[in-house]
Amino acid sequence: MPPRPLSPRLFRIPLPNTPRCIRHRSSSSLDPSEVQHFNQLASEWWDPHGSSRLLHLMNPLRLRFIESCLRSSPVTEPPDSPASTPEIARSRTNRRFLDVGCGGGILAESLARLPTTESVLAIDPTPGVLDIAKAHMRTDPALKRKLQYRASTIEDVLEEEMFDVVTTMEVVEHVTSPFPFLQSCLTHVRPGGWLIGSTIARHPVSYITTKLIAEDVMRIVPRGTHDWNKYVNAGELEGFFAGEREVVECRVLGCVYVPGFGWREVRGSERVGNYFFGVRKR
Amino acid sequence: MPPNHLLRLTALRRLNSTSLRLSQRSYATTPFPEQDIYDVVIVGGGPAGLSLASALRSSSVTNKLKVALIEGQDLGPQKPYKPKPGTFSNRVSSLTPGSVRFLENIGAWKHIQEERVQDYHGMKVWDGVSNAKIIFSSDLLPTAPTIAYMCENLNLVSSLLSRLDELGSTEILDKARVEGIEYGQDDGELDLTSWPVVTVSSGRKLAARLLVGADGANSPVRTFAGIETRGWDYGRHGVVATLRIEDVEQRKQAYQRFLPTGPVALLPLPGDFATMVWSTTPQYAAKLKSLSPTDFAAMANAAFRLSHVDLKYILENMTSGLAEEVSWRESATPRDPALTPTHIVDVQAGSVASFPLKMRHADSYISERIALIGDAAHSVHPLAGQGLNQGIGDVQSLVRTLEHAVQHGQDVGSLLSLEPYYSEQYLKNHMLMGVVDKLHMLYGTTSPPVVAVRSLGLSAVNALDGLKSFIMGRAAGR
Repeated sequence: MPPRPLSPRLFRIPLPNTPRCIRHRSSSSLDPSEVQHFNQLASEWWDPHGSSRLLHLMNPLRLRFIESCLRSSPVTEPPDSPASTPEIARSRTNRRFLDVGCGGGILAESLARLPTTESVLAIDPTPGVLDIAKAHMRTDPALKRKLQYRASTIEDVLEEEMFDVVTTMEVVEHVTSPFPFLQSCLTHVRPGGWLIGSTIARHPVSYITTKLIAEDVMRIVPRGTHDWNKYVNAGELEGFFAGEREVVECRVLGCVYVPGFGWREVRGSERVGNYFFGVRKR
Repeated sequence: MPPNHLLRLTALRRLNSTSLRLSQRSYATTPFPEQDIYDVVIVGGGPAGLSLASALRSSSVTNKLKVALIEGQDLGPQKPYKPKPGTFSNRVSSLTPGSVRFLENIGAWKHIQEERVQDYHGMKVWDGVSNAKIIFSSDLLPTAPTIAYMCENLNLVSSLLSRLDELGSTEILDKARVEGIEYGQDDGELDLTSWPVVTVSSGRKLAARLLVGADGANSPVRTFAGIETRGWDYGRHGVVATLRIEDVEQRKQAYQRFLPTGPVALLPLPGDFATMVWSTTPQYAAKLKSLSPTDFAAMANAAFRLSHVDLKYILENMTSGLAEEVSWRESATPRDPALTPTHIVDVQAGSVASFPLKMRHADSYISERIALIGDAAHSVHPLAGQGLNQGIGDVQSLVRTLEHAVQHGQDVGSLLSLEPYYSEQYLKNHMLMGVVDKLHMLYGTTSPPVVAVRSLGLSAVNALDGLKSFIMGRAAGR
């Protein structure tokens, strides 16, 4: 295992959209110093040249991946749904999203702006972060009717609340137990719907790129953002979902950030770095 | 400075002003009326602004955006373009086939009065000191027989207005001066402190998710955004005029002669009409404008025929009888018949005008909720006829950028959404402007070694068909 870089606890600044504070109810106590760091970061969240620039740049790729998953869905609506005829279902324009670990709302806002979206519920357990999200939402009159923020963990979402798509971007690598967390997310996906997320593979290459280069050398990601040991491999995710009876499909797609060119989808790179995963429910 | 740094600087400036505003913020008492909140507010109803409005309405991706266009002049009389028969406006632009294709795609070109548009198929450019020449003939290009289309600005504006009429739902506020631009307020519910709010002369206020400055070289939008422009005045004026010519060519061509005072160009219009742009010193420009029609026509002929020494002598010393003077000097001056255009026989009354030539480039084309297009972003020397085409290039790029933003759920006014527009157009325009600017300087001298080298260069390019095809392809917007 490579040595951990020097990153004094005091100077750790978590990356936006990385609610490291997401815990299961049994261990949901929030670290006050991390809350403080989130608040420090808050003013930069929506600065396109601030520390969340990489996430802003990644966002269009997230939407493309989500769209590609939804487009590939066979048309199977719940029988009692008004959109049960294939024609209507195919042009379904009333998608309901749940964004878990929404941070400042980079993904949640853009989902809410899509004409095919009916509503977005975005949750995050850190109040300071949600304040930023809510304040930013007020700058766009188009969001008011579609986007709702809630200070909540996934476990606090009412059992009967179901969504067409549950998203969780750059969250899995920050939670203590990723698989129970994903299981909780999955319970809120309606039958035939999708759980879609992104995370980073645990590989020597990702250690060099996300820790050494991104955090220490180029400093395009705030230091101490990531804990390499918590990264989850695509194979591990696929293995986990293969064991879930209600999952019919699991796909992954790697993406690579090239300074000067931006994010690019690269097949196979899910083994060594950032990747998206999409899981369809039976 | 690399564009990235410029961008950062602008962003920093913006951040500073944001924090300033935040500290002074107080909640507005009344909410901003929803009907006055727009996705895109375009200031300026010239070709660039109108093309942008038409393109946004024509695209299936952006046609849901709520768009308003503000123009100080009355656009009503321009809608049906009905010029006096047998006359042409002196404000004519060269449109590349690339620009025309774009205008076709957005559905505007079908409204153009095509009988008033002249395509041309060859270009003759020569050095007024050494007579070194370069002849561009579109025979070199297998696919595009046309180098460019000469089109009156009024014809283009009218076709764009017809297209907007046809598409509907773009709000056009004409006869509306921009009285002021300031940031909106926070009413506790909706926070418009990052939104530019434009006050027009009727007192109405429009809030803009994205404010587009298509408002010309002295752009108020650019001033509001605090974006600097850099550049210089050439100390030259462009003299324009609508002319009648003697013999009409089968395949029409453009002629351009580089004189030490600046280039002079003769560009074809339909029938026996032509338009001229002569860039020269302000003194010569004033002199030319004061001439009788006969003497002006004589000087226009002289510009393509006599030596620069003769031209200087006549313009500086003679007040009358210029036509006779030109006529005898012409008979005594040897010239290359392949280069010289046909004789100019008349000048359209009231068509002689002049304007100062400038080179200006804005430090950035974007800022949070601001984009600049056309002359608001850049002014270029007219010698390459690229001004309007650059503006249309901006529109194409901005529309692509906004389409991408809409498709990916981005706020179309955010700096992040606008970045691709800036990075795509800035360098492209910068290079073109640099080349045009260097050409102007290179031909502004009579120094023998410079003349020898530039003539060698021109003759060498002339000998290489491959290179010429490449240059023509670029000039034609490919």
